[in-house]
Amino acid sequence: MPHLVVERVEKRFAAGGDRPEAVKDVSFTVERGDFVSIVGHSGSGKTTLLSILGGMARPSSGRVLVDGADLYALDGDRLTAFRRDHVGFVFQFASLLPVLTARENVLLPVTLRPRAGPLNGAETRAVELLRLVGLGDRAGAYPSQLSGGQQRRVAIARAFMNAPSLVLADEPTGDLDEQTEAEVMELFMRMNRERGTTFVMVTHNSELAGRAGRRMRMQDGGIQEL
Amino acid sequence: MPKAFGLSRHALKNLARRPARAAILVAAIGLLVSSLVFGLSFVRRVESSIRKTADRLGADVLVVPTGSRGSAEDVLIDHRVKGFYMEGGLVERVRAVPGIERVTAQTYLVTLGGACCDVPDTMVVAFDQETDFVVKPWLGRALHRNLGHGEALVGSESALNIGLGLTDVDAVLFGNVFRMVGVLEKTGTGLDTAVFVDRSNVQDLIRKGKPRVAEGQVSVIFARVEPGVDPQVVAGRIDDSIVEVDAVARRDVGKSVLGALGDIRRVFAAFIAVASLMAACLAWAVFSGVANERAREVGILRAIGATESHVIRLFLTEVVMVGGLGSALGVLFGTALSLVPARGFAILRSVTADLGGGERATIAAVGLLVGTGVCVLGALLPIRRAGRIEPFMVLKEE
Repeated sequence: MPHLVVERVEKRFAAGGDRPEAVKDVSFTVERGDFVSIVGHSGSGKTTLLSILGGMARPSSGRVLVDGADLYALDGDRLTAFRRDHVGFVFQFASLLPVLTARENVLLPVTLRPRAGPLNGAETRAVELLRLVGLGDRAGAYPSQLSGGQQRRVAIARAFMNAPSLVLADEPTGDLDEQTEAEVMELFMRMNRERGTTFVMVTHNSELAGRAGRRMRMQDGGIQEL
Repeated sequence: MPKAFGLSRHALKNLARRPARAAILVAAIGLLVSSLVFGLSFVRRVESSIRKTADRLGADVLVVPTGSRGSAEDVLIDHRVKGFYMEGGLVERVRAVPGIERVTAQTYLVTLGGACCDVPDTMVVAFDQETDFVVKPWLGRALHRNLGHGEALVGSESALNIGLGLTDVDAVLFGNVFRMVGVLEKTGTGLDTAVFVDRSNVQDLIRKGKPRVAEGQVSVIFARVEPGVDPQVVAGRIDDSIVEVDAVARRDVGKSVLGALGDIRRVFAAFIAVASLMAACLAWAVFSGVANERAREVGILRAIGATESHVIRLFLTEVVMVGGLGSALGVLFGTALSLVPARGFAILRSVTADLGGGERATIAAVGLLVGTGVCVLGALLPIRRAGRIEPFMVLKEE
């Protein structure tokens, strides 16, 4: 069974906007463990599609099936629980909460679980993940004390905190230097290879896109396999 | 070792990012609660003091000359010095009213410092030792015999106020020398500021001191009713059958003061209502700002798996922390206010009964509940709005 099935998905915004139809009749499937990259110009509908795949934006029509289950047949809380337990998000902007340290930001997804008990195991995992992204010594730092690249790496560590089966990354290396960009990509590839995590990554960078097993291009809301 | 992270710590950190804003709300809630605690303590102290005073007099019905009810309450509750008289023959007429078990009478003589007596203005109470049941319970260990002619007892506060604390001293009262032979225990009534002599001395006092009272006159008749008889019914019978007197049942003692207290209570209630509304509006304004300012953060939280209820709980925790802290400070400040500066209020100067621990705890609980509740109510709408923020809308705005 495919991990992800996208069936004739469309997303229309309220009339009067400058881009009333963001996603047009998009269909594709993603197998478990696939690494898919989506390229496209700004405004082509990539972020909207990613939000739909992640259960954050209900499509105007069409279906998204995850492991055979219709995502948008779930009620609000179940959809939220799905995001929390199965999806890791890496946003295209700095998405850390400014009042929390790097360690606390990484721990957040665990504390959002209902009846989250003692976080002893999670604390260890958070520190391990920070070490994995090269920030083991900055666990107590606040986002304002970290560079843009370091903040991005903390957000990546957070995306892996709940060991998601699907990672959705929106321009994950947008503001990183070349070395960090390579490290992040290597981390993604390793997770994909070793843990079988499915990745859908939106990027402008054709070189990065080329490292993915499958490549797609979005244009004017439509999608095509490359 | 990093501190354990959870909802409360997250809420605390959110509050700490703008301490001045949180402090303003804490101060507003604190002022509201301190006013409430002060008001409640004030009213309860006066009410409780009046009830206790009436109970301590040991009489079910007080009978005073017609039109002198206010003066009697001034003497018995407010420790004022006043004289009012009726014919002594009325004692027997009251005794004859159905339902009366026993009666005793007291005559109040007002001293005039320097003119007749060598003590400042005070009340000399002449009582009948044979029938008395009002003074005797407070004699305690003061005296183990009846007062003799030319002997006097002093109330607990007179002992301090007019320098008669030392027994076995002599004082001139209405031209007669009296030996102070004991101090009464504290009664919590106007009797604490009086000097007590046996009724047998009245004739001498009138003859030498010329107080404004005729021989045989009395000021108050205290009556006890038979078991099972309603004192109010008996008071009504006395009023109906003896036109020269007013009868007041024990539960009605202090009614005029309690009436005035009702007005004070209404003013307090109006003030608290307005203050609550203002505090709620402030909470609404503060948390509306907080919700707008943190919309993106809420969007991120929602995106990574926070349910609407989690977001609401996070904000509610912040509101309860602010409201709880403000209320706790308000309880402390209001209690201190009711203990210290409240002495400046004339109505409390004569109030002897302080509030018990239970009553203070209840008032504190009411203060905490109202303060926190007002804060939560005010912040409810912005909090609900924050809970409904959709992650996608926030992400698309980037």
